[in-house]
Parts: sequence; structure tokens; C-alpha cells
Amino acid sequence: MADERPNAWRQTIRQRTLLAAALLVLWGVGIEARLVYLQVLRHPELVAMADRQQRRTIESPAKRGEIRDRNNRLLAYSVDVDSIYAVPSEIADPKRAARDLCQALDGCTAADRDELEKRLDRKAAFAYVQRFVSAAASERVRALDQQGIGFMKENRRFYPNRELAGHLLGYVGTDNVGLGGLEAAYNRVVLGAPGKLLVQTDARNRAFSRVERTPTTGATLELTIDQQLQHIVERELAAGVTAHKAAGGTAVMMDPATGEILAMASYPTFNPNAFRDASPDERKNRAVTDLYEPGSTFKLVTASAALEEGVISPTDLVETAPGYIRFGARQIDDTHNYGTLTFADAIVKSSNVGAIRVGKKLGAERLGVYVNRFGFGHTVSHDFPGESPGIVWDASKLDDSALASVSMGYQVGVTPLQMVTATAAVANGGRLLKPRIVRAVVRDGVRTPTDAVDVRRVVSARTAAELTTIMEDVIVRGTGTQAALEGYTVAGKTGTAQKLVAGAYSHSEYNVSFTGFVPSRKPVFALVVVVDTPRNGFYFGGSVSGPIFQKIADASLRHLGIPPTVFPAPPVLVDRRAQMMQTPGEPVIVTVDDAGGRAMPDLMGLSAREALRRTARLGVSVKMQGNGLVVGQYPEPGATVALGGSCTIMLDRSVGRGARSSTGTAP
Amino acid sequence: MEHAESFDYAIRKDVRNNPIVREVDERRQRELWISLAIGAVLVVVVMFDAWQHFELIRQGYAIEAMQKERAAEEDVRRHLRLEAETLRAPQRIERLAATRLGMVAPKAADTIVLERVLPAEPPARSVVASR
Repeated sequence: MADERPNAWRQTIRQRTLLAAALLVLWGVGIEARLVYLQVLRHPELVAMADRQQRRTIESPAKRGEIRDRNNRLLAYSVDVDSIYAVPSEIADPKRAARDLCQALDGCTAADRDELEKRLDRKAAFAYVQRFVSAAASERVRALDQQGIGFMKENRRFYPNRELAGHLLGYVGTDNVGLGGLEAAYNRVVLGAPGKLLVQTDARNRAFSRVERTPTTGATLELTIDQQLQHIVERELAAGVTAHKAAGGTAVMMDPATGEILAMASYPTFNPNAFRDASPDERKNRAVTDLYEPGSTFKLVTASAALEEGVISPTDLVETAPGYIRFGARQIDDTHNYGTLTFADAIVKSSNVGAIRVGKKLGAERLGVYVNRFGFGHTVSHDFPGESPGIVWDASKLDDSALASVSMGYQVGVTPLQMVTATAAVANGGRLLKPRIVRAVVRDGVRTPTDAVDVRRVVSARTAAELTTIMEDVIVRGTGTQAALEGYTVAGKTGTAQKLVAGAYSHSEYNVSFTGFVPSRKPVFALVVVVDTPRNGFYFGGSVSGPIFQKIADASLRHLGIPPTVFPAPPVLVDRRAQMMQTPGEPVIVTVDDAGGRAMPDLMGLSAREALRRTARLGVSVKMQGNGLVVGQYPEPGATVALGGSCTIMLDRSVGRGARSSTGTAP
Repeated sequence: MEHAESFDYAIRKDVRNNPIVREVDERRQRELWISLAIGAVLVVVVMFDAWQHFELIRQGYAIEAMQKERAAEEDVRRHLRLEAETLRAPQRIERLAATRLGMVAPKAADTIVLERVLPAEPPARSVVASR
């Protein structure tokens, strides 16, 4: 009996242990079963649910590349701005929400509010409240803390210079797709690729992990245009068109040596930041889409062909009496009866009869060859969406009357871009260059320049030079005197063409144009100015487009730093090397190239500019030290300075506050 | 006799067993220490793993916050660049110069054109004529 007692409690312990073990096993089995259920049977469903709760995939919109001018000034730029959306099913009172939102948004009218209320009342899963809102409006809406209202970042295109080069740049729609101009033509290049952002969030919706595929920014376009020249061209064109109460105008400036378009302007203009406010007529780039009959500017083609083919020389005589020419019932007049003229003078005075007689002598076939060679009848570049190829005739179907029309620039449709390209061919000695607007494409930091495309030789250098001389005479004693520039030789040609209205040539509506290049012997740019229907009494190319050309050329030459070509002052050579080390506007040294010797003037108290002006006339090198007014100089006033020698002037800003310094010492 | 034995047993006897020492089982003790070491290592590994896990999450929050901050700063930078370019627009500058400062465009006679040409041997400290 005594031996059994220990066994009894051991038995009890064993039973209890087994029970506990069984319970533990059951517990384990239960847990394992649950785990199997959750992790095996419901695995896909739960993983998907967890992903929905914990992971968010956010699309990062692609940023369009920048568009810059040739000096790296921004012309088009993209930034992220807020767009406001709603989840209408979460909005209890759509009317009140629409009212509150409308008060917070910019420019929200009663009609906008009603429209917004309708959108919020549809109980859809998503509705835009307003896209691309201002930062202030976004803050105001945020402050409402409205249930069911959310914010998202969207990429928006901005044009910091507003209307500047608007026709050229084009515009971008709300979905970041280029809709006009270069934005459309180079959409694929500048678009970039969107990125993706996978974010893991915790129970409180705080992100703690991300996997990011960064968006690829599109390539940057470096254009050939110069922002400042573009501004000058737009300013003067707008002023000219407004002054002449014209329907519109176009001006295109091109570098004849490279084919680079330096400026391209159309008027009326529009702001690409708000392109929807502009009419289609305002948005179109007239320089490439509008065809016009060039009138007498086309005589350059007739003259080129005649000179190149040896049909006539500039000094050969052409009979223009009695001031008109008849083709059956059709009579074509000159403005005056010029009598007998040299061929050069026939172009200088823009005689229609003279051009017709030369054209007739040349023949339709040969004239047609040169029209094609100059690039008329074809699109000249792929950079401009909607570019018109122009209208030219089939030479074999041309009768005498039609040939006469073409010889003087009628019955042919050209774009201003084609005309400036042809003019540039004369300016550069006879080579037709493809006009370019994109100077380089910069992608991932690698700049790939576009090369000049020499399409063909149009005329020989000799013919181009003869034509240049004739065009210079147009400015000196012909129809283009109002395009003359003081200090520069200009080559140009005027054009006045009646517009075709309802199938007949109008006697009140004209396309007036001027095309030329400057300085004529070493051209920096070729420029065409076309004004559509001036209505203030003047309707000649020389009196309407000529002055616009003159103003543009004057300001542009100054901007480009082109010294006068007629009786030029001694050239002032300025070293660029130290510019980076200088504070802007701090003149230090110039060297002047001339010969001879004179007395040193007294420069004390003069401004640096005035001192520079006086010393430049002496033809000596000048070294400037400091900035401000002249407080010292060497050599002293009255001393003889050898031409080609040097002098030093000391400048100081404190001269106005203190005593005038004595004459400087030799450096 | 039997009673005497039980009696003797009943009497408390001072058994001198102090010198008797239980011999240490070296093998089991070694096993004990190895087990403890393995346990400690496992604990350290588990603790390190847990620390690493939570540190990863903590750093994730920090990185996320910095990424947001960076994105916001980048956004501000782009906006400021846009604003600067807008303020530098030539038509705006010209309008301000004409209306606020009463400036006029210079005429040909008012200007000297500085031909920007590199001389053969420029002086040590030279230039500048800014337009």
C-alpha cells in the first residue's frame, strides 16, 4: 500500500501532463490550421488586400524638356502645380461644397459653380474640381478641409516670356502633349517618360518605404533664335502693323551663313500660357503657313535667273516705255513711264515692264528651274508644323501673260520663310541653306548640335554679287530708301502685290513686303517683313515694310555689336577673356587700332563711356582702372600720344564725394 | 537486536561527510555552457534582427520624410527659376524702363558699337564693355 502512493501521484502528474500536452497540441494544430488557411488557402486574396492597404503606386508625370534660346535663356519650362479633384460619393452636400470651393478658386463664375455642383452630384468615383490651380487657390481650398476633396501634382508648361516667340514655340495641352509649333513638332523629343513610385504605408497611412522609377525628363531644345532679337522683331512688327492699321504681319530673320533662324514673328500674336483664349487666326504661324504673292520681291528670282543664264547683264538696256505692256486685253502698268533703263535700274525702280521683258527673254522653262532652285514650291524645313510648300506653276503650261505675272511676282504663292531663305542665298554668295530653328538637342547632359544643311548652289558667287549691288542701289536710289540705315550698307528689295479677293485683284488690299540683308557686303542677317493689308493710305512695300525693316535692322545691329560699315570709326576691340572675372558693367581696358598721333585730351571728370569715346577717336589703347568717373590719366592732358600707343585712365566712384584726384602716374 | 539497530538508527549520529564532494561532470557542464552560448547567440541574433527590422522601418520613415522635403525644395526651385525668368522677360524690362524710369531706346548717334573681337595678345587685366 505504501509503495503504491508514489505511483499514484505520478499517475496524476502524467495524466495532467498529457492533458496539457494534448491541449497544447490542439492549440498548435489550431494555430497551424489557421495559418494554413490564411497563408495558403486565402493567400492570394489577402496579399492583394494587403497590397491595396499598404502599397500605393503613384505615377510621376514626365517633365517636358526645356526650350531655350541660343543664349540659354528659358523660353518654355515645366513645373508641377496642384490640381484639385473630388470623390463625389464622399461629399454629403454637393451644393454647399461647390459654393465653398468656388469661393476659394480663382476666377470661378456662377456658371462654373453650377457646373461644379453637377459634377459633385454625380456620385462618381472621381471628378476634377479644377486643374492647374494657383498656389494661393490651392492653399485656400486646403484650408477648407473639405471631406472628399484631394490634391494631385500635375505638370504644366509655362512660357515665361508670354507672347515672345509664341507662334514658334507653340503650346501644350492639359495632357502634356504639344499641340502647336515646336512643342508639337518635337513632342517626342521633349516629352520624356513618366515614372512610377511604389510606396509602402503603415496603418496610419504613413509611407515608410518606396521603390521609385524616376521619370525621365525630355530633351532640352536649344533654338537658333536670340531672345533679344526676337523681342526687337516682335516689337517693331507690332508697332508697324498697328501704325498702318494692317490686318497682320510677319517678319523672319535668318543668318545667311548658317541658315539659322534668329527671329520669327507673326502679328497678331497670342500668349501660349493661355492659348485657349486666342483665336485660331491669332495662333497660326503666318511665317510658314500663310502664302502670299510676293510681288516685286520675286523679281530677285527673275533677275538671278537672267544674270546666271547670261540672258542679260546689269548694264544692258531694257525698254520700259510707254510704261505698260499688254497681253491681249490685259494691261500691266508701271507706276511711271521710265523709258529706257539699264537692267539694274529696272530692278532698282521695280519696273514691272522691265521684269516682264527680261522674263520673256529668259523663258518659262529656265525661270521655272530657278524658282525651284531657290526652294519655292517645296517645304523648306521639317521644324514647322503646317508649313506650306507654296504654289508654283507648271512651266510647260505657262502662256505669255502668266509668264509675265510670274516674272513680277504674281501667280506664285510663297511663304515668308521661303522668301527669306531665297534672300539669304543671295546674301551668302549663292548657296541655298536649309533654314534651321533647332540649334542643338541636349539629352542627359549631352549636347548634340544640328549641322547646317547646304541644299544646293542656286547661283554663282558672281551673280550673287551683281544682284547684291543692284539691291544696294534699291536702298540708295530706288524704291527702298526708307529702309536705309545710317552707317551701314543695306541690300534689299521692296514688294507690293494686290491681294486676290473673290477671284479678282483688289485695288484696296495689298500684301506689302521688304526683303534684304545687312550689312550688305558681310551680311549678319537676312530679313523679310511682310505686312498684310495696310489701311492707312500707304500701301507700298517701301513705305510700309521698309521702315519696319529699318527699325528692326538698326536695333538688331546694335544688339549684335556690329560696327558701322560706312565710314567706320576705328574699331574698338574688346577682350572677352577677363569678362568672367569682372563685375558686370565694369570697363577696364580697350585697345584701339589706328595710325597717326595727337595730343592727349583732358579726360578728368568724364564718365568712362565719354572718356572711351574720346580716346577711341585718338586711336590709342586705353587701360581703365576702377570704375566711376575719371580721376586720373596718363599721359597727362596735352602730351602727345603716338597713334597705336596706349594711355591709362583711373576711375573712381567717390569723386563726387571727395576732392578731385590729381593726375595719375605712369603705370 | 532488531530493535537496537532501529534505535541506533534513530539516534542522530554525526555523519562526517564533509569531505565527500560530488564530482563535476565535465561533459555535462561543457554541454551546459555550449547550450547557454548557443542560446545567447540565438537571442542576440533575434534581437539584432528585430533591431534591424525596426531600424529599417524607422530609417524608412526618415528617408521618406527627406524625399518629400527634397521634392518640395526641388519644386520650389523650379517655381523660383520660372519666376526669375518671367521677371527677366525683355518686354517686361523694356516696359518698366520706359514707364517707371522714363528711359528711351538709344539712337545710332548715342551709341558706340564695341566690336567683340579677341585681340592677339590681350592685356593681363582687361575688358569689359557690357551691353
